[in-house]
Amino acid sequence: MSDVKERRDRTNSGWMTRFWAVVKYELLWNIRKKKFLGMIVVAFALATLSLALPVILSNMIGQPLSQNPDYVVSAGAGIGGLGFFLFAIVTVMNSISGEFESGTVVPLLTKPVSRTMVFLGKVFAAFITLLSAYAVLFVYTAIGGSIVYGPQNNLHLVPLSLLGSTLSTLVWAAITLAIGSISKSSLIAALGTFGIFIALSISHPIVSIFSDQAWVLNYVPGSGVTGSIKDLAKSVSSGTDNLAANLINYVLHPSSEVTFYKIGALRPGSSSMIELYLEPLSLVLLRSIAVAATYILVFSFIAWYALKRAQVVE
Amino acid sequence: MELAIETSALTKRYGSLTAVNKLDLKVERNTIHGFLGPNGAGKTTTIKVLVGLLKPDEGTVRILGQEVRGDRPDVRLRVGYMPELPKFPKHLKGWELLDIYGRMYGMTVQERKEQIPKLLEVVGLKGRERDSVGNYSKGMQQRLGIAQALLNEPELVILDEPSLGLDPVGMVEVRELMKGIAKEGMTVFISSHLLFEVEQICSHVTIINRGVSLVSDTLQNVSHKLSGPATLQIEVAKISDAIVEAVKKLPFVSNVSQDGNTLTIELNTRDDVRPQVSQEITSSGGVIVSMSLRGQSLEEVFMQLVAKSSGWKAV
Repeated sequence: MSDVKERRDRTNSGWMTRFWAVVKYELLWNIRKKKFLGMIVVAFALATLSLALPVILSNMIGQPLSQNPDYVVSAGAGIGGLGFFLFAIVTVMNSISGEFESGTVVPLLTKPVSRTMVFLGKVFAAFITLLSAYAVLFVYTAIGGSIVYGPQNNLHLVPLSLLGSTLSTLVWAAITLAIGSISKSSLIAALGTFGIFIALSISHPIVSIFSDQAWVLNYVPGSGVTGSIKDLAKSVSSGTDNLAANLINYVLHPSSEVTFYKIGALRPGSSSMIELYLEPLSLVLLRSIAVAATYILVFSFIAWYALKRAQVVE
Repeated sequence: MELAIETSALTKRYGSLTAVNKLDLKVERNTIHGFLGPNGAGKTTTIKVLVGLLKPDEGTVRILGQEVRGDRPDVRLRVGYMPELPKFPKHLKGWELLDIYGRMYGMTVQERKEQIPKLLEVVGLKGRERDSVGNYSKGMQQRLGIAQALLNEPELVILDEPSLGLDPVGMVEVRELMKGIAKEGMTVFISSHLLFEVEQICSHVTIINRGVSLVSDTLQNVSHKLSGPATLQIEVAKISDAIVEAVKKLPFVSNVSQDGNTLTIELNTRDDVRPQVSQEITSSGGVIVSMSLRGQSLEEVFMQLVAKSSGWKAV
């Protein structure tokens, strides 16, 4: 057959080329999702509001706004536990399950990329997406904070805060991925993670304030146990949602100790606080990083295993 | 005989339903092999096992000489696959999708630059490559599906109902494309409901029903084995012995019988020989009133086999 073409052997073509192809595939999906773009708009609106509101109020009451050189470092990008949860949901709720729901998993899984590579590419793309979104928000807050509250201290710590916020979000992202990967339903992934978030958000303050067993909360995702650094009159939470704040606190006050309390008795008009235990801030920080890493790894493993074993019937 | 696809006792069950039952499938290299069966026969399930989307419950699968067990990207590197009614990410543009898939195949920038415009032209999507896939019609997605299956110039192309959703012009174009890629040395394994399509482009055919292979051979052998020799019925005005003798001497004629002015000619070929027969009769002084070719349709073979295996009354 004279027409027969000589084929190129691509058996040894780069692992990285294929991996980046998966990352690009996922990144383009992430940044073009309407819900993700909507979330960015909302986050910017809230950041703008938190910057503008004090200015508006101070103008209304006729008092000049006092300078706050620690605003940026203490506020971060203004993304709290709910923000981390929402960003996680909109970024990864259909990363795996959406592929199955839409049928796009068929052409994807029949390409010469292993399922492990597909999974790693998707997780890496989620990480890049979150990191980039947060970076833009942090820069915006840093510029806005400097304009509203004057020159800012410790701006070099902003990247640390950025990393902490991204890790906090990845905990919720890993949970969402695992539920989505097992159920193959974006709705179940979102609702399942939402259920966990709500259950923990309600139970955390109750257990933290009223129970002697508050230490348990150190090991579940969310806000953790609330305590304070007495000398600095600073509130500290030990959970995975507070990695950014704890990282900053530790760098600024490395030898601080955190005291944890519970409410002893509630009487009308007054309450008594009982000191439970004292821990070095370094331990609080290390433990929360370890707990976050464990959740990220365990739930990512579950998601990977479910994808690896999945059969595409439809 | 080098095989592109070889399954041995391949079995796939969904709960209590056996979708594919001990299927032994052999597809020779450099052929266009049609895979036929009624709805629910197990065609798509078989194909999904071949490309690694489903795991077989029993049996073995070898693609291009390599055993497919577990996740085998190295095997998929040599295979192009177009699913039935393919779905692609709607947020990507046509060229973006092909570019990303090209990277997944490990194609260089230069290779992608050469191959993607060529394929877009071949499948008729030139000028629409900058549109989002979400804005493509069903037929355009089908064309994109064909393009992505051929992107890597694979050794084996597996196409599940490639003409589904295409207009008549598109169907003809796809058939010509299949013939063209087979000439380039690719093996084409094509599942189709369209028997005339298979009849026109395939050299080999496998018919399955209820997960069981009913027949697998060259198209010619399948037709000959199952529907007997093809026959030509010709009504001739003023028939003579000279005409009958002249027809009998034709190399592709195995028997001729006469009933009044009608000749029944049994053929030993599947080629359309009506012009030669017509010429012979005319040159022998006969005038043809009517002519009909019977008994070599794949549809008849298909219906006969499927009806028998399903316990239906043959139509």
